[in-house]
Amino acid sequence: MKSHKKTLLVRKIFLYAIMVAITLVTVGPFLMTIFMSLKSASEGIYDSVLPMAPTFQNFIDAFAKANFGSYFMNTVIVTALAVPLNLLFCSLAAYPLARMDFRGRGAVLAIIIATMMVPFQLYMAPLFQLTGELGLRNTHIGLIVLQVSTAFGIFLMRQAYLRIPKELEESAYIDGANQFQVWYKVVLPLVKPTLVTLAIFTFMGTWGDYLWPLLNSESSSMYTLSIGMASLAQNFDGANLKLISAASIITTIPTLLIFIGLQKFFISGATDGAVKG
Amino acid sequence: MKKMKKIMAGSTAAALVLGLAACGGAPAEDTDSGAAEGELSGKVTVWTASLAGEPFDSYFADIEAEFETMHPDVDIVIEDIPQGEMEQKVLTSLTSNDVPDVVNLNPHFMSNIAAQGGLLDLTGKLSEGTETMYVEGPFEAGKYDEGLYALPWYLTTTVSWYNGANFEAAGVSELPTTPMDLYETAKKVTDATGKPAYYPVINDGNAIMEKMVTLAGGDDIVTDGVASFADNAAILEYFEVAQKMYAEGIIPQEAAEGSIKTGQELYMAGNTSLIEGGVTFLGPVESGAPEIYNASKAGQPIAAADAPVNVAVMNFAVPSKTDNEAAAIAFTEFITNDVNQLEFAKVAGTVLPSTTAALEDSYFTEPGDSPKALGMKQAAEALDRAEVLIPPTENSAELRDATKTIFVKTLQGAMTPQDALTELEAQWNAAFEKTGETVSF
Repeated sequence: MKSHKKTLLVRKIFLYAIMVAITLVTVGPFLMTIFMSLKSASEGIYDSVLPMAPTFQNFIDAFAKANFGSYFMNTVIVTALAVPLNLLFCSLAAYPLARMDFRGRGAVLAIIIATMMVPFQLYMAPLFQLTGELGLRNTHIGLIVLQVSTAFGIFLMRQAYLRIPKELEESAYIDGANQFQVWYKVVLPLVKPTLVTLAIFTFMGTWGDYLWPLLNSESSSMYTLSIGMASLAQNFDGANLKLISAASIITTIPTLLIFIGLQKFFISGATDGAVKG
Repeated sequence: MKKMKKIMAGSTAAALVLGLAACGGAPAEDTDSGAAEGELSGKVTVWTASLAGEPFDSYFADIEAEFETMHPDVDIVIEDIPQGEMEQKVLTSLTSNDVPDVVNLNPHFMSNIAAQGGLLDLTGKLSEGTETMYVEGPFEAGKYDEGLYALPWYLTTTVSWYNGANFEAAGVSELPTTPMDLYETAKKVTDATGKPAYYPVINDGNAIMEKMVTLAGGDDIVTDGVASFADNAAILEYFEVAQKMYAEGIIPQEAAEGSIKTGQELYMAGNTSLIEGGVTFLGPVESGAPEIYNASKAGQPIAAADAPVNVAVMNFAVPSKTDNEAAAIAFTEFITNDVNQLEFAKVAGTVLPSTTAALEDSYFTEPGDSPKALGMKQAAEALDRAEVLIPPTENSAELRDATKTIFVKTLQGAMTPQDALTELEAQWNAAFEKTGETVSF
């Protein structure tokens, strides 16, 4: 009995040691970035792990000197546009692909999925031309054309719709609901976790998108946080690591908060695509 | 399943065709050129590379205001683009009509865009006397395939950076000039500090290629597309010494990764004492390790006093689809003239101008005694023998890759230095044979 308890204790200690080690490996670099961002100008980044005289000066400099206020606002605007638009278009486009019988449904789905396999570099130039011709150059809408109605989103939503028993929709039709009402009042509430998952994916994709916003911007007044980060990292006079650390924290915190807040939906929604094809 | 595969293949092919077709397009008409009217007019969009924020914003605002005062009908718009994406952004813009008029490029990006017909050949289009005001090597860097596609702007040359306190502790007062000197110096500093003293920068292999040309002392290591350096005594000695230093812990293990960033981090942490790099190397050291910055001193690159050293050039080019050619060329000449280059070098504090008159200013001959100023002085002195050591070639990625792989294997003792050079020579020759290039350097 005693030796059994001892074995359990050893196992517990071993498991906790592994968990602590994994936590340190994953969270460690983030903590190091926070510590680095709090170091003062006179302090060397390698002098000690913890800042000797913590200061928020690097955060102030990121906003005052590196224009992060404007980059932050642009990123918030484009993300606030991209998330609802992608949810709306994907959930609308996916419904007929899951529930309506029409000729060529399989082909349409295959074409949509095929676009996921085309590298961005291939259609970058035509997309650039198209956005120019549509007058979307240097506009917030122009920056999110890749995030509005994504193939991945349509596929994810379709898979979620397929999991809902058809009987629920049929009973709504019997009660006199039309197709739009069935979609909006019956089906959509049932795929809430998937919608949240898609919202998180869209948020992360838009928040961190770099190449397209850079290509489509003609003025630095339209730059987003990721372009601001690249400008800092590729600075002419070499990278100021304390300033970059502060800017990274500013860039990361919103994503982190959203992910933590919506974590439980994310986990259940992300598995939706795996259970039925 | 078969049906699905067919559909997917078809749609991928359609996307490919669409993408490639969109890369064409007629060049823009010269609608707004001031040349036709004799007086410059219209909008000139200028893209600079990684020069955002102060003090550059104020500098460019002054440049813009001055040029617009000289030419009241011209509207200059200056935007900054992260350097790493400049080539892609220019190439993408060339597929549409939203093209900048003046772009800040390095010679590698310049030759690549020029090769695709994206840049204007400036031959015969410049004002009288413009071509003769630049230092020869940097001016030549603007040429590609018989054409002149860019005017030189600012320059950086390689200097040696060392931790003066560690060198003093080791009783070393002079920088090495030969591989054997390097070994002896680095050994003394390693013994005194207990830390590997020398960090050889490899980067993607380009730094070692430049080092090889420098060590060859002015003799070509590639003649008409044929590499011949396996028996070069100085290059062989460098490979031998590097292997020995790595084995004895005089070169840190991290050197096998080889990027200047890693070397910079080691230098900032006080874990290495001697490294070669441009004056801009000191920027992150100043902000990230103030004590190390204050102890830093600069010297000439580790090479014979008359050996050629590399110069990194940033230049300005005019895209071929500009719709304001005359004003774009005028602005390119204006921003690269003596006065504006000198002012820019002073504002930046870590670069050299590319005009001969600006280089004679006391700012470069008597720069003061701060670590950065010492670096500037050494860089200006090195400029006398500086040139672009490796010309842009189609197979440059292959050459760099082979050089990095083989040099790292040599460092780690996986190859003898002689075998390494023989193998490297063979791989370079194979790469030149494949592209049929007949360059010499």
